[in-house]
Amino acid sequence: MLKLSGVSKTFGGLKAVQGVSLEVRQGEILAVIGPNGAGKSTLLNLISGLLTPDSGSIEFLGADLTRAAPEVRAWRGLGRAFQIVQPFPEMNVRENLMVGALYGKPGTSFGRANEVVDRALELTGLRPKAEHPAGELSLLEDKRLELARALATQPKLLLLDEVMAGLRPAEAQEAVVLVRIIRESGVSVLFIEHLMPVVRALADRVVVMDYGQVIAQGSYAEVAGNTKVREAYLGRNA
Amino acid sequence: MELLLQTLLNGVLAAGVYALVASGLALAVGVVGIVNFAHGEFLMIGAFVSYLLFAARGIDPWIGLGVAAVAVFLVGAIAYYGLIRPVLSAPELNQMLLTFGLSVLLQNLALLLFGADTRVVSPPYQGTTLSLGGLSFGVVPFAAFGLSVLILLGLYWFLGRTRMGFAVRAVAQNRLAPGLLGIETQWVYLLAFGLSAALAGIAGAMLSVMLYASPTVGFAYTLKAFAIVVMAGLGNLRGVLWAALILALAEALVSTYVPGGGGWVEAVFFLVIFGVLIWRSWRRV
Amino acid sequence: MRLVFVILGLVLVFPTLPLGRWQAFTLDTAQFAFIITALALSWDLLARTGQLSLAHGAFFGLGAYAAGISAPQFGTVPALLLGAAVAACSSLLLGLATLRLQGIYFAIATLAFSEVMRTLVLKAGFTGGATGLPVSPAFGGTWALGGYYLAAAVLILSVLTSLGVGRSRLSYAQAASRQGEAVARVLGVPVVRVKLVSFLLSSALAGLAGGVYAMKTLFLSPYDALSLERAVEALVIPIFGGLYTTLGPLLGGLLLVALETWLRLEIKDGYLVVYGLILILAILFMPRGLVELFRARGKAPAKPVREEPRA
Repeated sequence: MLKLSGVSKTFGGLKAVQGVSLEVRQGEILAVIGPNGAGKSTLLNLISGLLTPDSGSIEFLGADLTRAAPEVRAWRGLGRAFQIVQPFPEMNVRENLMVGALYGKPGTSFGRANEVVDRALELTGLRPKAEHPAGELSLLEDKRLELARALATQPKLLLLDEVMAGLRPAEAQEAVVLVRIIRESGVSVLFIEHLMPVVRALADRVVVMDYGQVIAQGSYAEVAGNTKVREAYLGRNA
Repeated sequence: MELLLQTLLNGVLAAGVYALVASGLALAVGVVGIVNFAHGEFLMIGAFVSYLLFAARGIDPWIGLGVAAVAVFLVGAIAYYGLIRPVLSAPELNQMLLTFGLSVLLQNLALLLFGADTRVVSPPYQGTTLSLGGLSFGVVPFAAFGLSVLILLGLYWFLGRTRMGFAVRAVAQNRLAPGLLGIETQWVYLLAFGLSAALAGIAGAMLSVMLYASPTVGFAYTLKAFAIVVMAGLGNLRGVLWAALILALAEALVSTYVPGGGGWVEAVFFLVIFGVLIWRSWRRV
Repeated sequence: MRLVFVILGLVLVFPTLPLGRWQAFTLDTAQFAFIITALALSWDLLARTGQLSLAHGAFFGLGAYAAGISAPQFGTVPALLLGAAVAACSSLLLGLATLRLQGIYFAIATLAFSEVMRTLVLKAGFTGGATGLPVSPAFGGTWALGGYYLAAAVLILSVLTSLGVGRSRLSYAQAASRQGEAVARVLGVPVVRVKLVSFLLSSALAGLAGGVYAMKTLFLSPYDALSLERAVEALVIPIFGGLYTTLGPLLGGLLLVALETWLRLEIKDGYLVVYGLILILAILFMPRGLVELFRARGKAPAKPVREEPRA
């Protein structure tokens, strides 16, 4: 459903992303992993439209979105949760979600938006906090809000940027279950993650990036056995 | 031909003061991240300091200029400490409103204290002109231009060659998390904001001789400094020099060659701002 | 909310109160207060997107001049609408050039715009230039309370617009654009369009208020109608009363204009000192404005109960 062909982005001489081609299939959970600075977050910004590629193309559900504005991509069905949680601090949790519900999918009525928000609150366990100011949440609640808000846009493909970073193992486990439920409801997922247990538990396929390039892709077992991947990780950590 | 050369000369001479004022503004924007709508009011204070010293004690404006620089530095530092610092992490709208409020306050306070009259500092050499190969220019504008160049060179030396200047530039490049300001950063901000004000204050002292001191004298310079800073790119100190030159030359040309040009000069800065903004907003799609 | 309608009710019955020899003065002051409050409400409509406009004095003045010049030919109401349209068109140009950029650029451009509009009106022939422009009263002066009810009407229209926008989906988009532009766009909010629509609505109302003002003062000069004072009033009132609300600018406007009327009797020049001071103090100590006091006394938002994350 999402297809990147030869996408590149350079920041003042630094090649953050170079000639990346990858595909997310309908109903799939795809993980993008790689050492710090491998270009994963830049890649996500290119997909969600906060950055425009220097070259290459991005196609989503048959439409060329290479230069489309972020809001246009949202309307087409791309939802995104940010790594650094950025709630609208002067609104409460419910209102935060309403923004996504009202604007994420064109033609959504107020009534429909309320239903969507209720479901997202239920799914993420935020219902008790619905009227709570979004600027005063715990880290875990912030992460849930980030996810719930992306869900409220009724995406067809959900982009998750290290949503589990900073969570305790038990909390991460809960989040893994949540992502599975989301996939069951017909949403495809592309996620960036550092925690290998989470990647193993969730990903149907894994794409490995290093120095802005895709160095391997395949099942978790395949990439885990790949020597280039090992070098990328061990070489950097040693 | 002579008219053109004379016009260009006038423009170049005016550019010195413009660059001084605009460099101050660029410093506040680039280092502290604050768009200071009260910048012109700092200039106005400098002009009044120079005027009061001259009127009350007959102190020569060249000395008054030094006093104005120190006084306005202090005003800037106090304004930073009491007003700007508390809103560093507030929404941008609140920050801009605050400096705008300061501008309104200072301008009208001056109006209450001194009335709306314009006051000129007129030392004996005020009207002296020199002529060179058919071109003539006033001694005062020429000296003001020279001093502006020296001060700007000093500023670049300070930022480029001294340890403290290095700290200022370092802070300017890492202005990401205002909540996490260290004590050193606070001092750098204080220094930068004070310097920013002092540059405006010096320009004000110069203008008290070349133009006049009045409560509203600074406002036009706020706008011109904005035009220059917008042209140079927010916070870009070096760009300010050529941007100041372009604005001053454009104004000089308009005032010489456009019929009834005197009044239209006041519209040049707007065309500059508008043109640059259109260019900027449609370039980065 | 209820208080808003109580105030509007008072506005409508005010001329019937037995005020004796004070009536002419109070009605005149009230008329001015309504117009300036409408201007303040219009400014707040744009501020909701996080944009600082320093050009509301200019929109007010453009509306005043357009309505004043065209009223003899078109009649009162069409002339007022024309004033609103002229203000909206100029805001469209300004908005297209600047609303895609950082908010700082917008604020600078609006300040420059308001300065240049004054220069233009001073220089242009058909505006009467520096000598000024006489304007005929509303409805040809046939209805004594015509001016009053026109001012009341523009106030009511502004209040209803402010309330309406506050309850519409646009309010979510405005607040999101203000609090996190990039996130808002990723959630599907067309931020530039939201700002532009808010700007158009806001400037049209400001222009309308300006037209009503022209028909009240009966004489326009660039130093009055296009002065920075109008822009200052337009923004101090909402900040003092309470940003992003309807009640805030409404209360703030009526209070501050009353204060201003009194101040102007005491000091002729420089009464804006007080506005500068209020602006600074409000930003530093009361950024939510007067309405916060009401909220705190009425239904305080329940102190959030700290709850351990269930994990």
